[in-house]
Formats: sequence, C-alpha cells, structure tokens
Amino acid sequence: MKRLLVVEDEEHLANGLKFNLEAEGYRVDVEETGEAALHRLTHGSHGIDLVLLDVMLPGLDGFEVVRRLRAAGSFVPVVILTARGHNEDVLLGFEHGADDYLTKPFDLSILLARIQGLLRRKNWFEKDSNEESQPPEEYRFGGRRIDFGRQVLERGGVEQPLTLMEMTLLRHLIQREGQDVPRKALLEEVWGVRHDTDTRTVDNFISRLRHAIEDEPSNPQYLQTVRGVGYRFVADPTTEE
Amino acid sequence: MVPGEVRRLKVWFVALLGGLLIAVAIALNIGWIVVNWRTGLLLLVGIVSFSVLIVGLCFNTAFLIREIGRTERHNAFIHAVTHELKTPLASIRLYLQTLRQRDVDPVRQQEFIETMLTDVARLQSTIDQVLLTGKTGRARRVVNPIDVNLSEVIGECVTVAGQRHHFVNDEVQVVDLLPPGENAIVLGDREEIQAAITNLIDNAIKYSGERVKVAVELVKLGARRVAINVKDQGMGITRQELKRIFRRFYRIPDTLSARVRGTGLGLSIVRAVARRHGGRAYAESEGSGKGSRFTLELPLKSS
Repeated sequence: MKRLLVVEDEEHLANGLKFNLEAEGYRVDVEETGEAALHRLTHGSHGIDLVLLDVMLPGLDGFEVVRRLRAAGSFVPVVILTARGHNEDVLLGFEHGADDYLTKPFDLSILLARIQGLLRRKNWFEKDSNEESQPPEEYRFGGRRIDFGRQVLERGGVEQPLTLMEMTLLRHLIQREGQDVPRKALLEEVWGVRHDTDTRTVDNFISRLRHAIEDEPSNPQYLQTVRGVGYRFVADPTTEE
Repeated sequence: MVPGEVRRLKVWFVALLGGLLIAVAIALNIGWIVVNWRTGLLLLVGIVSFSVLIVGLCFNTAFLIREIGRTERHNAFIHAVTHELKTPLASIRLYLQTLRQRDVDPVRQQEFIETMLTDVARLQSTIDQVLLTGKTGRARRVVNPIDVNLSEVIGECVTVAGQRHHFVNDEVQVVDLLPPGENAIVLGDREEIQAAITNLIDNAIKYSGERVKVAVELVKLGARRVAINVKDQGMGITRQELKRIFRRFYRIPDTLSARVRGTGLGLSIVRAVARRHGGRAYAESEGSGKGSRFTLELPLKSS
C-alpha cells in the first residue's frame, strides 16, 4: 500500500483529502506544520511515497520545506497544493524542487490523476532498480552516467541526485535523441495534459538539468535549444555539423 | 531567504543609501565652505540650499522606508485574503465532489455538510470584512444614525461567537458594569458597532489558544462616554505592537501569531468604526503571554 503525507494546516481540507485518498487505497498521514513534515521526511526511514504540500503554512512555508528537503538529499515526489496560483508562484515551486503544482480550489479527479501519474513514474524507476535479473537502467554519454533506478547522475566520479520530474524529462529527451521536441509536447507527455501551466515550467526544468549536465550551462552542448520550437538532446555533440 | 529578512535587507539598503547621500552632501558642502569662506552672501545661499537638500533627502529616505513597509503589508494582505477566500472554497468543492463521487454513509454525510456550512460562514466573514473596510473607509461620519443599545448588541455578539466556536461552558462572558437600571445607548450604525465588537471577541478567542477565557465588559466612563472592554488571557501583545496592530493589513509577524489566520483588517475596522462614531479604540497588554485588553470607547447619546 502506497503511503502519502498530507502537509496541511487547514483541518477541513486535511480531513477531506485524507478521506478521499484512503478511499483510493492509500495510507495517509497528516502533518500540520512544515517543521514537523521536514523532520519526518529527513530523519530516518519515513516510508513516504509522495507528499502533498500546502504553501501557506504557519512558520516554515511549503517552498522552504521542499527546498530544504532537496538540499537534505530527499527526492520523494512532492505535489504542491496552494491558493497561490500566479505563474511566478508556480515557477518558484518548481525552482525549489517540487514535482507538480496544483492550485486551490482544485478538482478532486485531477488531483487523484496527478498523484497516480507521479506514483506510476516512481514505480517505473523503482522497478528498474529492484529487479535483480535486470540490471538497473543506465545511460552513458560524454563521460556522464545516468542511473535511472537510483535517480542519480554521475559526472567526473561525483554523483548528483535528480528529482523524479527531472529524471522523467531527461529520459523523455534521451529516448528522442537528436530529435526536436516542442515545449508543448513535453508539457503534455511528461507532465500530462494541462492548460494551467506555463511552458516556462519546461524551461525551468531544462535550466536545472543543464546545470547538472553541461560544462557550461550558458553554452549547452547536450541539451540544446531549438529556437521557436523546444529542445533537443544530443549525446555526442562532436558528430554534429 | 524568509520574507522578514528580505524586508529588513530592503530597509537597510534604503537607509544606507540615504545615509550615504546625506554624508556626501555634507562633505561637499563643507569642502565648498572651506574653499569659498570669503564670499559671505553666497555662503548664506549655499547653507540654505544645503539645508533644503538635506531635509529633502531625509524626507525622501523616510518616505521610501515607509513605502517599502506599506507595500510589504499590502502584499501580505493580498496573500492573506487569497488564502482566506480560496481555502474554504477549496474545502467546499472537495466535500461536494466527494459526496457526488463516493458512497458516503449518512453520519459522514451530515459531518461533511456541517464542515461545508462552517466554511461558508468563514467565506462570508472574509467577504463582510472586505466590504466593511470599503464602507468605513469612505466617510468620516455615520450616515442616518439610529439608537443602538449596547447591552443588546453585546449579548447578540457573544451568543453568535458561542455558537460559531461551539462553546458550552461560558468561555465568553458578559460583565455588565452599568449602574443599576441604566442602559448604554449610542447614536450610530448598529451593523458597524456589531461588526467591531464581533471582531474584538473573535480576536480574543483566536489569540487565546487552547484555553479560552474572555470577558466582555460594558462600563460607563463619566456621564458622556461608555467603554466596551474585551479581555482575554491569551498570548498578549508586546509594547511595540500595541499601536501597530490597528493599522490596516498589519499582522504581528512572529511565528505564534502567524498560526492564527486572518486578513489583517479586523482591528482597522474597529478603529474606523470608533472614529466614525466619535470614539476611539485602543489595546493594553502586560506583554507577551500575559493576555490583552481591547477597548472600544464610544460617546453616549445625549439625553
């Protein structure tokens, strides 16, 4: 049974979410503050598969929680759930390391679909790393190694963890190596169809990936921009004209 | 970086910039005086211009610092109102969709309906606060005042608060200190006075924490004025915050207070209502953790 953590200080919403998620077969825990959630997720084995995180919490806000969570090396999928729906807020959420973002008031079916989507992706990666008969899926390019199972990028002997959505996006581009992939297509295929998200979300994730992969993020060789279209992954830039 | 730090940095930046400009102006002027000390008349003109310049710079710096604070409060208000409107709305939508999509047993259904009604009341309270702020901010005096019996209004406010917070043990008590047989009649807007007293009672409850013990006193001050004192034994207020809390959009920035939801409009409404009725509103507290006393003082109707 998948275990979810709802971080929400509004009792009514927390109870409503718990009722619905339990009805879907999840085990649900609730924390009322960012500090309590952070403590739980960064101390010992928490067993949480996904976090639903409110932003306007008393004390430590949701953005800070997800930032500290990532800084502490925890890459549990995080869906931010908040009343703040401006594009800048959404981008800030992604910048801090959230995997998905939903604004209040939200539609119950869409929330459940997003949770299922993220857990499904998490499953794929875990399956890759858990099956003993099949070695963890790896991809090597330009002296870098990506371990999709452990969600890490190795470069020059140094391992760097990637978030679930960074991993999913990278895998999607690698599967289409050398092809131009439009931003809209990335939004639809990586994040699921959504009309409420700015395509800058993709740019934001690409920027984070470039910082992880490229020698010079401002002059990318592997994750190239296709002007007016989107992005292209090139495994061996030296063969390009 | 937390918002408080950002604000402090901005204020420091502006203050430092202002200070530097003033220092440069002083240095230039002293230099000028040293070089041209013989030219008396010009010196006088220079001193006057210099003084004007310095005063202008001081005003400009003070104005910028005040504007930064105002913008911060305004942004915080927008966030708070967004939160106060969208959160109950999200809850109502969630429960309605739950009832539509799932088989919910009758006991749970009733529970959900009660939850939704509480959320509707919260939504209405926020909307009322915003509308009342607009109304009380428009004119200085009450239009078409009527006789308002304060004992009656206080009784209603306390009953409503008790129902809203599901109190059973007289957590909010009325203490009538009027001379026997006397009424406290004020000439004014009944709805506004009721809103002001409700705000004071709600605040006292919200900032009381787990142990709610609120007293609403009605006391005559001489022959012409009456005071409504709302006393609680809650988290109290520091001396610096006592005046600030009546400002529009202002919310005490510490973590303990941040746990209490609100728009930052309540006390500004109380103060506006007091002024529109020719009265005043103020707060007293022994300090943090020692409870507070809020007073709404109004002129009695002259007989």
